[in-house]
Amino acid sequence: MSERTIRTNLISSVRKNGDALVASIIGEVDLGNSPVLRAALMDLIARHAPKKLILNLRHVQYMDSSAIAVLVEAVRKVGKPGQVALTDLQPRVKGLLEIARLDTIFQITGTEQEALEK
Amino acid sequence: MTAMSNPTNADSPRCIELKIDSYAENLAPTRRAVEAFALGCGFDETSQGEIGLCANEALANVLRHAYGGATGRPIAIRLEKMPDGIRIAIRDWGNRLNPMTLAPRDQDPLRPGGIGLICLRELMDEIAFHPQTDGMILTMIRRKQASRRRGRRNRDCG
Repeated sequence: MSERTIRTNLISSVRKNGDALVASIIGEVDLGNSPVLRAALMDLIARHAPKKLILNLRHVQYMDSSAIAVLVEAVRKVGKPGQVALTDLQPRVKGLLEIARLDTIFQITGTEQEALEK
Repeated sequence: MTAMSNPTNADSPRCIELKIDSYAENLAPTRRAVEAFALGCGFDETSQGEIGLCANEALANVLRHAYGGATGRPIAIRLEKMPDGIRIAIRDWGNRLNPMTLAPRDQDPLRPGGIGLICLRELMDEIAFHPQTDGMILTMIRRKQASRRRGRRNRDCG
């Protein structure tokens, strides 16, 4: 499956795996484009209602607080903490999550497979 | 984005002044310019990224709060090399709101707020808001020597 109603270059792929939805985000995300990411992610969640959302951030070199706010909103939409997994975090993104003390509301894993198995 | 530099030598200017308008699209190129300047100040890659993030967050706060989302308003950024670090001054002509005087947000991690200010407090050695008659100047200092006190000794000059 690879379909998106709201198209954005920030989401490079989407696939379903059982009850989980796996999406790969790509690029640098800041206040300039985080509203686009927000719209696309909320659209995906609304259309697929996944029990778990796995976001692969391998190709996200940079995120700012507006992007983190989008990820937190995804947690609220999907359900509760732990149902959104962030995988393959780059050091800068991981560092920001730690500074914001938000690394506990996401499931953070090294790979997509790890997130699928948890 | 326009830039004016005051170089002490061709490779490593002592200070740079950037002038941008309050469009979110200007954040990324400005952040990259700050990171490049930090490289010239001798910061390592991790520190450059942290300094760039702080500049990004400070500018985003200007866009969102000082200017309330209004576009096309001026922002001046001055980057200055210090003997032991970098000094960043961000001037806006907005509503003079000092974010450090705002009441802390609740601690619900699912409704986070003020992450930008947290970054500044955690990653900079000094931050200070200086109200002007027609806006605000935020100054931030980051030193090369890692400070264990970073994030706990920032002060409010407002």
